[in-house]
Amino acid sequence: MDPETSHFETEMNRGFLHILVLAMLEKDMYGYSMVRTIRDLGYEVEENTLYPLLRRLEKNRWVKSKWDVSEDRPRKFYGITAAGRGLRTELLGIWKKQDQILKHILEEISHV
Amino acid sequence: MFEKLETYLEEISHFLSGREEREEILSEIRSHILEKAEQEFGEATEATLAKVIAAYGPARRVAEKYSEGRPIIAPAFKRYLFRYTALLFAFHFVLTVAAVVFKKSFLMFPLVYVPCMGPFEALFYLPTAFLFDLGVVTLVLYLITQSKKEVKLPWPRFGVDLDEVKTSGRTIGRVIGLVAMTALTGTALYFYVQYRTIFFVNLNFTQHRPIFTPEAGQWYSLILIGLWALGTFSLAAKLVTPSPWVDAVEKALSLVLLGLAFRQPFDTALPVHLPLPEGLVRVIKLSLIITLLIICVFVAVDLIKALVRIGRRHLAK
Repeated sequence: MDPETSHFETEMNRGFLHILVLAMLEKDMYGYSMVRTIRDLGYEVEENTLYPLLRRLEKNRWVKSKWDVSEDRPRKFYGITAAGRGLRTELLGIWKKQDQILKHILEEISHV
Repeated sequence: MFEKLETYLEEISHFLSGREEREEILSEIRSHILEKAEQEFGEATEATLAKVIAAYGPARRVAEKYSEGRPIIAPAFKRYLFRYTALLFAFHFVLTVAAVVFKKSFLMFPLVYVPCMGPFEALFYLPTAFLFDLGVVTLVLYLITQSKKEVKLPWPRFGVDLDEVKTSGRTIGRVIGLVAMTALTGTALYFYVQYRTIFFVNLNFTQHRPIFTPEAGQWYSLILIGLWALGTFSLAAKLVTPSPWVDAVEKALSLVLLGLAFRQPFDTALPVHLPLPEGLVRVIKLSLIITLLIICVFVAVDLIKALVRIGRRHLAK
């Protein structure tokens, strides 16, 4: 992928990752398990991008976290809050509208 | 304890702020890296951890991701950093010149204290004053940014907007200017070599009468020739490069030369045999000081414009 495309991909990922994370956290998950799940779905997320994103979501109270120290290695689990669900619904609405507009435009230009 | 992992976390820690937050972030990264090494390489060893750390990214970049969206100074305020610094420095500069001329200290509590000083001290004082002004403006903009309030910063409209200063880019004009300045500097140099001054009362060079005493005449002549030579070099350099540094260096050196002009005592600059009334001599001396001061202000304004252009260029980068 050329650097210009890579730059646009990063820009597009920014919004997509928010929706993806808010959707995934309906079930409590920790960072590494999220990276693995996303990778298994055929998508790559940079680990050093995911954790700051989770932190920002948590600061805004869209997700909550707790440390699980029951096993050998402590893990920080994240889960969505009611405010996070509200945000997710709004973001999905925006995304669907954008998708519709894009489909409409692409359909129009395919007839030209 | 894995040495590589702890060193890496220590590096990240250097770039993070907030002690409590830092501990939490580092614990999470540690947990992630150890788990990834075990899951993907079978066990966590120094070798496998090195691979996971390399994939996680350079420490500084990792830390910066936590600061995204939290700029020190909001992007909308960055242009004000140079605008306000230029304005504050211009004010500081005028006070400094006043402190030199009137031999007085100026105190404007709590920010500005300009001590009584000579021209040479002023040349060392001004760069420090500029850095101080830059620091004060940075601090204010930082506090406004961190307050997260919607603040519309004021900016007065002058005849010339310092922020929209552009370089005049006419090559023909510069070539004509360069030829004229070379001729002027050369002629002045010729007169200086011949008569040790370039300031005359009359234009009869067989019986020439200099305006100033020999010592003062030499001093002012050399300074003026130096200023013209600087202008000539600057015009020549601008034909080769559009860099704003050319203007900045020229104006800074010009200020140094103008500062040197103040070193010559004005009271003894005019010869005693000059057939002029006492009142007129006083007026000439005062006019000389005021002219020098006005030139200083113009040069300083040009220097600030050049610095604004340099700052703006860095900001654009």
